[in-house]
Amino acid sequence: MRQKPPAVLVLLAVFATLISLIPIAYLLFRGSQAVDELFAELTRPRTLELLLNTTALVVSVTLTALLIGVLQAWLVVRTNLPFRNFFAVASALPLAMPSYVAAFGWVSLFPGFYGFWPSWLVMTLVTSPYVYLAVAASLVSSNFQAEEVARSLGKNRWQVVKNVTWPIIRPAATASSLLVALYTLSEFGAVATLRFQTFTIGVYNAYRSSFDRNAAAAIAIVLVVFTLVILYGERKSRGKVRNFEPHSGKRIRIKISGRYGFAGALFAIAGLGIGVPVAALIRWSVVGTSRAELQRVIDAVITTIGYSLAAGAIITVFALAITLVTVRYKSSFAGGIETGVWVGHALPGIVVALSLVFLGANLLPGIYQTVWIVLIAYVALYLPNGLAGLRNPVSQIPLALDEVGRSLGKSRMHILRRITLPIISPGVMAALALVTLTVMKELPATLLLRPTGVDTLATRLWALTDASSYAAAAPYGLLLFLLGGIPAWLLNRQIRKTLDATT
Amino acid sequence: MKKLELHNLTKYYGDQLVLDGLNLEVFEGELIAVLGSSGVGKSTLIRTLAGFESIDGGEIYLDGNLIASKQMETPAEKRGITIVPQAASLFPHLTVAQNIAFGIDKHDSERVQELLRLTQLEDLADRMPENLSGGQQQRVSLARALAPKPRMILLDEPFSALDPELRDQLRNDVRRVIKADGATALLVTHDQEEALSIADRVAVMRDGAFAQIGEPIEIYSAPADVGVATFLGDSVIIRGEVREGKVITDLGKLNPLNNVNEGTVGRVAIRPENFYLQPNPKAENFVIGRTFFGHDALLEVQTPTIRIKARSNGPFAPEIGMPVTVWVRGAVNFYADATPTS
Repeated sequence: MRQKPPAVLVLLAVFATLISLIPIAYLLFRGSQAVDELFAELTRPRTLELLLNTTALVVSVTLTALLIGVLQAWLVVRTNLPFRNFFAVASALPLAMPSYVAAFGWVSLFPGFYGFWPSWLVMTLVTSPYVYLAVAASLVSSNFQAEEVARSLGKNRWQVVKNVTWPIIRPAATASSLLVALYTLSEFGAVATLRFQTFTIGVYNAYRSSFDRNAAAAIAIVLVVFTLVILYGERKSRGKVRNFEPHSGKRIRIKISGRYGFAGALFAIAGLGIGVPVAALIRWSVVGTSRAELQRVIDAVITTIGYSLAAGAIITVFALAITLVTVRYKSSFAGGIETGVWVGHALPGIVVALSLVFLGANLLPGIYQTVWIVLIAYVALYLPNGLAGLRNPVSQIPLALDEVGRSLGKSRMHILRRITLPIISPGVMAALALVTLTVMKELPATLLLRPTGVDTLATRLWALTDASSYAAAAPYGLLLFLLGGIPAWLLNRQIRKTLDATT
Repeated sequence: MKKLELHNLTKYYGDQLVLDGLNLEVFEGELIAVLGSSGVGKSTLIRTLAGFESIDGGEIYLDGNLIASKQMETPAEKRGITIVPQAASLFPHLTVAQNIAFGIDKHDSERVQELLRLTQLEDLADRMPENLSGGQQQRVSLARALAPKPRMILLDEPFSALDPELRDQLRNDVRRVIKADGATALLVTHDQEEALSIADRVAVMRDGAFAQIGEPIEIYSAPADVGVATFLGDSVIIRGEVREGKVITDLGKLNPLNNVNEGTVGRVAIRPENFYLQPNPKAENFVIGRTFFGHDALLEVQTPTIRIKARSNGPFAPEIGMPVTVWVRGAVNFYADATPTS
């Protein structure tokens, strides 16, 4: 007999799912209202240009991030690379740097650093940690003895890499590079700062310049289709993850020739990814900022913390309800809820923002340009982050605890309050912290939806960078880097723990 | 007094029949073991009794009241049947004493103390579950299940996660505690030794049905059929025919334990420990295999027609290649073939 979840949980879960689905639903509705205009928009040369630019950037960034990430992971986990512990951290560190802060760093140090190659460089540097982390994790948990067996069977080093190592890391490499593709596709801040015209910028400009909402909607729909294609690939590749026998015994490191040369290369990558932006932040901070700007910094900090804490709390409650309904009670509509939420997540922030602008202006003028519509956007964008954080803690509670509780005569609500929630509370707090810190860095949706005159750290940094007021922008960038550093640091500690446990 | 009654209890998973019309009576204060190999439906039986699974046919009565049928079911939390799951499943955020107290009124500390004493956990009352050994965790789980003085307690392979030494010790403890508390208990297990040693009665389960229900000695020495005989320890099965009250087999004339009809053919089941091998240079049976266990040895013997397994005193067991005469000690169980005799 499948246990039914308490009604209050189901209500919350369904409500949250509906909120995540609002943007895509409304966008599709708009599209269906103006099919002719949409078609005209799609056949314009401008759209083709955006498509080519976006494709070029997504493909090139994905390939280089894959190459760099796999190389970093293999060198750090499997070889006798010197200063491994340093590189284990340094390779993941760019995660702490919001992409638009990195872009600010480059542009502010090198005036005129605009266009395709700068965008490719910055995006590669900020996305390669995703590949590095995923591949390193799969290498750490893989059975390295298979490689030794292959060598004892007469295969040379290259054949071993090709026939044994690569099949082990391929699922992680594929899944993470598709994530990189999604990230690049939906990137707004960095690409806009580096003045390269992709779909996200196309949407923003079409909306800003002419308030031509149909043009913006048309480009947004193409962007959504592009996203769904990549998402489909990501889901498919994820299904193929195989379980390898975990390793046992001491890890033997491969001796590589020229290990100091590789160390130098990794050092250069870390220098470009972290060193340059940090140097820029320090340089412009030293120049100093005006007293008037200082007050605005404080205001922006307060706004940012308020918005992100509110969003973090709402998202955590929603995510908890969804996770309990889908994972704990395995309700029959669980699949629907999960898919709905993930679709919301895959949408680029700029698309979510745009459809909420339409919706707010046309249907819900009461909440348009209030904090509420910003919060709705945050829920649609970051609910899956909350779900990802809660899934493990919730699924790790054995179902038998519920059953024992019921056999001892306790109701479902009593068990939820007295057993389930106390046990998962550390996981809930961690999810709350991670979601809050992630929301703090959000740029495009906040930019389009915030109430007039209100600024967060991200929007203020954006405005000042746009105006080339680099010294004034620096404190915002520094704060965002430090805030972003906290989740990256936590993630890193986990990775370090697994790496340490195997060396 | 009857505590639990199952009438024709039936359960499907999809198309698959898992419980095939079970009938069982459990009496007040009794400890009954349901014995069966894995996948036979034991856990499903426990889960239907506890109220975690609904049933597709038949009835479950507790203290004479209907608690489950196809049409109705009393929810798990209203049954007064508690469970000791396979993994102890203690609440990890509560201390030992708090775990035990979970199912009872907060202020009934006397009952908690009583159970701590009974399970010899007094010194561990304030420990967290993670700081307990596997055996201690199972004792807490048992105490927690007993605490609310349930109508009945279910134990789902409670010792299977423990190492063998601990298992023997805990088995005795569990029986002692359950009996001291006067509880009625149903335990499922795949371990025949466990079932035979702990239970007042044993129900042997096979393919979702009970093949035999009886006291341990009865089950072991008079298995209801060849299947039960082979399941409860090794048995050598040989063919035979009844003539003049004896069973004629390749191993000679054997005395049947049960009532037999003249002229019927069938099979006899002989426990390996009921063979006696006597070295005899003229015999036509030869020892062809020998596994030494210390206190005894298992020998394989090839007769002119069949191959048998026999248990022998370890140090004095015949060597491989030795010719031996095979004797059968005592009487044997004869199972007539199912063919109609009319």
